[in-house]
Amino acid sequence: MTSGLRLLTRAAAAIATVMFLNAQAGAAGTLRDATIGEPPPLDVMLTTADVASVIGRHIFETLYAWDSTYTPQPLLADSDRVEDGGKTIIIKLREGVLFHNGKELTAKDVAASMVRWGKFGARGKLLMDAATSVEATGKYEITLKLSAPNGAWKNLIADVNGGLVIYPEDIAEKAGNKPIEPKDYIGTGPYKFVDWRPNRYVEVEKFDKYKPRTEKSDGYAGARIAEFDKIRFIPVPDVGTRVSGVQAGDYDYAEMISGDLYDNLSKDKSVQVHRSNAPIFGLFFMNSKEGILKDNYKLRRAIQTALDKSQALRVAFGPKDLWSAEGSIFPKGTAWYSTAGVDGYSPHDPTKARELAKEAGYTGTPIRLLVSTNYQAHYDEASVFTRQLADAGINVQMMVVDWATLLKMRGQAEQWDIFVTHHGFSPDPVLLTFINASYPGWWDSPEIKALRVELVNSSDQAARKATWDKIQALIYEQVPVMKVGDAYTYDVASPKLTGLNPNGPAFWNVSTK
Amino acid sequence: MWSYALKRTGTTALTLVAASIVVFAFIHVIPGDPIYVLLGDTATPDQIENLRHELGLDQPIVIQYLQWVGHALSGDLGHSIFFQAPVLSVIADGAETSTLLATITMVWVVLIGIPIGVIAAVRHGSWLDQGLSGAAMLMASVPTFWVGLYLILIFAATLGWLPSSGYPSIFDGGLGNLRYLILPSLTLAAPNAALILRLTRASMLDVSREDYVRAARAKGIRPWQVVRRHILRNALLTVVSAFGFTFAALLSEAVVTETVFALPGIGRLVVQSILRRDYPVIQGIILVIVVIYLLVNLIVDLTYRVLDPRVELQ
Repeated sequence: MTSGLRLLTRAAAAIATVMFLNAQAGAAGTLRDATIGEPPPLDVMLTTADVASVIGRHIFETLYAWDSTYTPQPLLADSDRVEDGGKTIIIKLREGVLFHNGKELTAKDVAASMVRWGKFGARGKLLMDAATSVEATGKYEITLKLSAPNGAWKNLIADVNGGLVIYPEDIAEKAGNKPIEPKDYIGTGPYKFVDWRPNRYVEVEKFDKYKPRTEKSDGYAGARIAEFDKIRFIPVPDVGTRVSGVQAGDYDYAEMISGDLYDNLSKDKSVQVHRSNAPIFGLFFMNSKEGILKDNYKLRRAIQTALDKSQALRVAFGPKDLWSAEGSIFPKGTAWYSTAGVDGYSPHDPTKARELAKEAGYTGTPIRLLVSTNYQAHYDEASVFTRQLADAGINVQMMVVDWATLLKMRGQAEQWDIFVTHHGFSPDPVLLTFINASYPGWWDSPEIKALRVELVNSSDQAARKATWDKIQALIYEQVPVMKVGDAYTYDVASPKLTGLNPNGPAFWNVSTK
Repeated sequence: MWSYALKRTGTTALTLVAASIVVFAFIHVIPGDPIYVLLGDTATPDQIENLRHELGLDQPIVIQYLQWVGHALSGDLGHSIFFQAPVLSVIADGAETSTLLATITMVWVVLIGIPIGVIAAVRHGSWLDQGLSGAAMLMASVPTFWVGLYLILIFAATLGWLPSSGYPSIFDGGLGNLRYLILPSLTLAAPNAALILRLTRASMLDVSREDYVRAARAKGIRPWQVVRRHILRNALLTVVSAFGFTFAALLSEAVVTETVFALPGIGRLVVQSILRRDYPVIQGIILVIVVIYLLVNLIVDLTYRVLDPRVELQ
């Protein structure tokens, strides 16, 4: 054998050995999740980015967590009681819960986190604007006093997405409004933060001192058992590569797969399809502050009357399994499902739309529709609707920008008449962005103002549901937003994985067969 | 030679200053804002303004530029808004992937482009030449994402010979991790090898018509020696010039390939940073790419003299 050939043989053997060792390392307990992209900072209290929430959910925990029916159940909380007509909330914490830095969770940590969330948290103001005090009234007891009762308080603190995750007191106080730095990613979750390599992965590892709840696991609630030693969240922006990666065994799980692959993947034995149990829905926001649609409800109804939502859903999401032309803001089977006003959801009557527009005084002025191409579904829906509106004589001028530009422009009321976005599943109407008067769109008519107070201040579920029915009817009358329809996202996983979470990617309790 | 090198270095520095102004102005002029992307869609105006102030983005643009240049001169390119890490370390991490990818791609380009280009030129007008030129045109025309996805489908998903995507650093897992770059480098090499192939062929045909080639043949030198010693060596001058551009371009051109193969390279980093308006990272990367371009071209210019002593540098 020549020396060159010997060298080549040794190199091949070395590569084969490395490949074998790598394969063994994978088998030793690292779950590899192909995510849609690089996350923003994992300070999930500040951001609503889903890609950060998926990772953050493993590291940080909330006082309550949603079960598979999206009912809040205690997580770090042990019990609670409400006094003073709903204006005082006292939460008792579980004892013996440890942070990843070894310190025990106490009410002081919760109080500091709650104060920061109220000031800077993405969803903090929904609850904390009415807070008069937050106090640790015992080592394991926190007392929140409100100026008015809030019937949705438990739901508002039951998710990590822009939510009240509990940080150690010193970290919460030191961080202020700046995103917490990676070295301070200290939570109480079943996995602890290890490393973040830009564009390579975020790695978390099993927290050996994690103390799971004793209840059976259900959605995000109940016992959380870390079966894998490590989880790597790997940004893989191309959907085709995510799918091929699971098929090739390079990834165990891949998120957010496109609708056009659904039929083929459903029959593919090398993957298992995991469809979300909670739909997202597209929203077209009307500008209630400025412009042609400001308070012209008849013109808004004319626009909605012209539309066939099924057509847009078919173009945007593909197979029928992945969408539902549902007019109720909340899907069937949930406590908030309502048929109030849904006749106006998708009439697809261009003639009537034309008449309504004429009655509304519309003379063909271009309606500026702000949409981003970063989300293909947004663009598809906008394109279909623009065509349908043209058939009804309504002139839409699409303004296509990237997502970062849209986020800025939509805050400038003079720039647009309609903008396109989508909304994740919400277990309570208070969490819907368009109910919030300060969210771009700025729906704050006297009618919704009154109903909003009624919805928030009541703790009685039946009364709140009756109020929600009235709000949904008002949505179809004043059309602050148009719901496109429900869309079910789906992921793919290795067939070997069991125990996948019905609420979305959460990998505690997940193991291999 | 030395005065030429000094002059070229001076021009390089001026170009760098101009580039830094253009890059900074360009990225701050385009609409959008990192704060909105960072905080998400429920952020209130107060929260947005607070964080903007905290990150120094509310200062006049000239002040921001001067601060950036001041820090850059001392080797600090700032701190990434999204990665929460020094820009230099983010770039260094991406540079490893991009440099290795570009180097391996260049190896493929040379191994495929030059020999086949030589064969096509030597067999000029034959069916072999026609076939090779046609194949080169096809490779240059097919989009890289298509080539990449099919390579993944065949060699990773179906045959399982190579990894489908990603690249763990060789500093983490040794040289064996280079296998992650085989499919991406082949993808990226396809259009560039086709370009070099056609360039080699055309350049060789030009040189083969020169008088000294005819004289060499008349002297009875063996045909392959004429090709190797007289035609190829002179034809390579043009090809080597193209190498400089190709190598530098690969670093920034690899965006699609890096996205398809989920490689943590510079190309993907810059696109992602533009989409998120991570100003310090965009500025830092473009500055580094400009420096690489300028340096590579400087080296190529100086290399002319080594390859052909007749070239006078002025």
